[in-house]
Amino acid sequence: MRRLVIVVAVLALAGCGGEAIVPGGQSAHGGHDAASTAPPAPAASARFNDADVMFAQMMVDHLQLGISLSQLALAKATKQEAKDLAGVIDTTQREELAMLKSWLKLWGKPEGGGANLHAAHGGQPLLDDKVINDTKEKSGAEFDLTFLNLMAGHQGAAVEMALTEKKEGSNPETMAYAERVASTRQGQIAQMLKVISEQ
Amino acid sequence: MKLTRKAALVMAAVPAIVFITPVGSASAHGYVSSPPSRQAQCASGAVQNCGGPQWEPQSAEGNKGLVTCSGEDRQDFAVLNDDSKPWQVTNTGTTLTMTWTFTARHRTRDYEYYIGNTRVHYVDGGSAAPVDPVRHTINLSGFSGRQKLRAVWNIADTVKAFYSCVDLNIGGTGGNPTPPPTTTNPTPPPVGGTWAANTYYAVGAAVTYGGSSYRCRQAHTSLTGWEPPNAASLWEKI
Repeated sequence: MRRLVIVVAVLALAGCGGEAIVPGGQSAHGGHDAASTAPPAPAASARFNDADVMFAQMMVDHLQLGISLSQLALAKATKQEAKDLAGVIDTTQREELAMLKSWLKLWGKPEGGGANLHAAHGGQPLLDDKVINDTKEKSGAEFDLTFLNLMAGHQGAAVEMALTEKKEGSNPETMAYAERVASTRQGQIAQMLKVISEQ
Repeated sequence: MKLTRKAALVMAAVPAIVFITPVGSASAHGYVSSPPSRQAQCASGAVQNCGGPQWEPQSAEGNKGLVTCSGEDRQDFAVLNDDSKPWQVTNTGTTLTMTWTFTARHRTRDYEYYIGNTRVHYVDGGSAAPVDPVRHTINLSGFSGRQKLRAVWNIADTVKAFYSCVDLNIGGTGGNPTPPPTTTNPTPPPVGGTWAANTYYAVGAAVTYGGSSYRCRQAHTSLTGWEPPNAASLWEKI
C-alpha cells in the first residue's frame, strides 16, 4: 500500500510538475569529450507514448550518475580494466545523454524527474550524490571493488529499464536505443564480473 | 468542453498505466558477484544459454525461506536450479569472502548462508540499506568437497528475498574441477577488416561497417550495440 501511495505522489510530481531539474550538468573532462565533435545525434520521430518518455527521463538521470561515477574511476581506479571501462562508459554515455535530451526537447517533455521516477520502482536507487561522495573517500583495491560493484549494479538497473521500454514503448528510435542499452550494458557487466571474480 | 473532458480522461488514465508498468517488471535487486554465483556466471558469459539470468542476474527473487537457487518468482530463472549445468566451481579453504552486487537498495532484514539445511553464517542487516561494498567472511568448518552454498538477502520492507547459489569445492587439494571458461579470447581483426563485437580496438584502428569506413577515436572493447554508426563518440567516419 505504501508503494501505491508513493507511486501516486511521484506521478503527481512527474505528470503535472513540469519542472526540469538537471543535476550536475556537464563536468569538465580533460578535452577529449568526443561527443561534442561527433555528428549530430539521430532524431527521434514524433510518435511516442508514456513509456518512451519515462524511459528517456529515467535514462537522463541514470546516464548522469554513471558519468559521475566514471569520472571518479578515471581519477582513482588502480586496475587498468576498470579505468578503461570507465573511460568508454563516460564517452558513450555523454553521447547518449545529448541524444536523449534532444528527443525530450522534440517531444516537449522535461529532462528532469528521472530520479523521482526511480523511487516508484521499488527501493532506493543504487547511486546518489552521497554514495558517490562516500566512494570518493576510498582508495586502492577498496576503491576498485566498490566502483566495479556499483557500476555493475548501476548498469544492471539500466538493463531492466531497457527491457521494460522494449516491451512497452512505441517510439521506434527509443526502442532501438533500448535494445542497444540492454546489449551494451550486459556486455559491460560481463567484463566487470570477470574483473570482480579475479579479486 | 471537449478538451477538458479529454484532458480529464488522460489524467485519469496515466496513473493506471504507470502504476501497472513499473511495479511488476522492474524493482530492486541483488546477487553474489564474488565468488561467481550461478547467475553471475550467466551474466559474465562463463555459462551460456541461461535466458533470463544472463540479462538480470539480480532478479532471482522469491518469498523468504525458499530452498531454491532461483527464488521461484520467475519461471525463466529455474535454470539456476539445474545442477547439471556446467557451473564453475570455486576452490576454497574453510574461510570464504562473499561480495554482493546491488542494482537498487532495500532496507535489509539480514543475510543468511546455507549449505543444505544448515545455516553456516548469519549477518544482521539492522533494517538499513546496504552500503557498498557488502562483503561477508564466512566459516565453512565441518564441510568439505563439493557443496552448493545458498546465499540469501532478506528484505526488511517486503516479503521477498533474493537468492544466489555458489558452487564450492571446500578444502580441495589438487585436481581442479572447474571447467575452462567457455568464452573465447578476443582476437585482433585484420587491419581494415569488418567491425566485430567483443574485439579490442586501439585508437586509429580502421574498420568497415555497412559499406562505410570508420576510424577508432577511443580505445575500447567493442560490444553489440556499439556498432560504428551507433557510437559516433567511439568511431569517426572516414
